[in-house]
Amino acid sequence: MAVFDRSAAPPLMTLKLTAGSFHKLSALLTLAVLILVFSFGNAAFFSVNNGLTVLLQTSVIGLLGIGMTLVIITGGIDLSVGSVLALSGTITGLSIKAGVPVAPAMMLGVLTGAACGAFNGFVITKMRITPFVATLGMMLIARGIALQLTGAAPISRLGETFGILGNGSLFRIVEDTGGIFPKVVFPGIPYPAILLVVVALLAAYLLNRRQTGRHIYATGSNEEAARLSGVLVDRTKIFAYTLSGALAGLAGNVLMSRLVTVQPNEGVMYELDAIAAAVIGGASLMGGVGNISGTMIGAFIIGVLRNGLNMAGVSAFIQQIVIGFIVILAVYVDQIRNRR
Amino acid sequence: MTPHTPSETPLVQMIDIEKHFGGIRAVNGVSLDLYPGEVVGVLGHNGAGKSCLMRILSGAMLPNEGSIRVNGETAEIHNPHDARDLGIETIYQTLALADHLNAPSNLFLGRELKTRLGNLDDHKMMSETVRILKRLNPNFKNLTDPVSSLSGGQRQVIAIARAIYFDVKILIMDEPTAALGPSETAMVGKLIKQLRSEGIGILLVSHDMHDVFELCDRVIVMNKGQNVGSHPIEDVTKDDVLSLIIKGELPHDWVPRSQEKPQ
Ligand SMILES: Nc1ncnc2c1ncn2[C@@H]1O[C@H](COP(=O)(O)OP(=O)(O)OP(=O)(O)O)[C@@H](O)[C@H]1O
Ligand SMILES: [Mg+2]
Repeated sequence: MAVFDRSAAPPLMTLKLTAGSFHKLSALLTLAVLILVFSFGNAAFFSVNNGLTVLLQTSVIGLLGIGMTLVIITGGIDLSVGSVLALSGTITGLSIKAGVPVAPAMMLGVLTGAACGAFNGFVITKMRITPFVATLGMMLIARGIALQLTGAAPISRLGETFGILGNGSLFRIVEDTGGIFPKVVFPGIPYPAILLVVVALLAAYLLNRRQTGRHIYATGSNEEAARLSGVLVDRTKIFAYTLSGALAGLAGNVLMSRLVTVQPNEGVMYELDAIAAAVIGGASLMGGVGNISGTMIGAFIIGVLRNGLNMAGVSAFIQQIVIGFIVILAVYVDQIRNRR
Repeated sequence: MTPHTPSETPLVQMIDIEKHFGGIRAVNGVSLDLYPGEVVGVLGHNGAGKSCLMRILSGAMLPNEGSIRVNGETAEIHNPHDARDLGIETIYQTLALADHLNAPSNLFLGRELKTRLGNLDDHKMMSETVRILKRLNPNFKNLTDPVSSLSGGQRQVIAIARAIYFDVKILIMDEPTAALGPSETAMVGKLIKQLRSEGIGILLVSHDMHDVFELCDRVIVMNKGQNVGSHPIEDVTKDDVLSLIIKGELPHDWVPRSQEKPQ
């Protein structure tokens, strides 16, 4: 996890407790406290099985959160990821129905997401529309297309292969007991969790070790300075939005694959979870600050909270209220940090 | 006693440059020459258009009218990238630093050093930064901190280091010593003299008469967007220059000081 342990100010982190690492530490502590509290409340919470469930549930927010982090570091925001997720899944589903094999169909879905993101980037940089408005527009456009294409009806009977990405797992060990249900020795590591880890590592590598990553930070830190230093600011932004769109497409495929059904209504308000994950993890909506490890912690805080409240029998309505407060709290923390 | 002969091609020629902002004529038909190994002071009151003229040469701003020649050839400068490719380096009045990044990241911003695999070579960038900053300020520390936590003078030193590290031929310094202490200012003076001896042309925007008379070979005075005078430094006194800055003209009884007969 070496690439993970870097904060907003690359390179060569000192051992000093910077504002960034302090924020990350407090987020990590929050996560630990949540896990502890839920484990006391329900013994089943702290089990391998439930751990893997949380991992699975967090993968979608996590993937969206990674793209959101890149965009937020450039000083922008992407409100369209929830809708793009639905549109990408829809394109994959329709392609499969049209006879395209599953893997290329999923690729098409991800490309659709990337195209939506590129469009966002284009509108923001070339038409000079603020990210909030541009991606709000895309949020409506992508959702509208998904609903129009499907007549708002789910697409089912997509075949078993379509379900592998969301439901399969690596190193699954089952023991044949001769009965109807074989005994599951180890449930395996879900593919979505593996995907999340791989994408997170790649994104952290991009941000910390590559020129593009450095330019993403510079653009969000001081756009004019970056431009004067020869950074291709527009290209950097378009890149970030395109990646965010592509990851929304990937998340859409994971989610719909898990349901083995394409739901054009899926992903409503997911953008807010993604923003919350990034902000809880220390990303600043002012730009220039944020990192992948923080966002992962943020995504897990939301995932654990949802899962734990579910197991405790708290209604979905109350869950919304709790998460709403957490979002406000996270942004408040962000502001306090900026005021210092 | 100008350091150039008339036959020499100027390093830079800015010809009839105009820049308007709505009704404001920030730069109003200004021409300017700069020769190799020459330090030209660009003076004028606040808002006279000095920074605009400099930003046009460094590609940060596009002129409405006018052309630029570098080494006698027409230069198309559409963005800072183009200017850098021509060897034009700039220390902006606003410094243009990315606050959240540390000193090495800022120094190499847009021109990052990379390893063979294309990764950022942060170790090399750090050691190079240490090397160059030692020259400007031996006490420079905090190289790993974001530059937002540095003092104004330290930030200025980074901006200066960034301009001279790469292969500079034309150096634009827009009030480079405004935030510096006396010893750092002296260091910059020494640096200017050294760069000039290497044949680099320098445009120095400054309000500090003492620095101007100490360092410049020639002064150009801007007044309300116009170039109201270009004089070898030995032809003018501080009072002459002040008159140009404030009234836009030389004193009525002025004769070039180098031609003045000692009484
Ligand atoms: N981006 C801009 N938009 C509108 N007006 C501008 C812009 N930049 C400069 N100006 C105007 O152009 C004029 C010249 O400004 P400039 O910054 O070149 O002055 P200056 O000579 O550098 O002054 P100072 O000594 O204060 O740095 C001013 O009237 C300023 O208000
Ligand atoms: Mg100025």
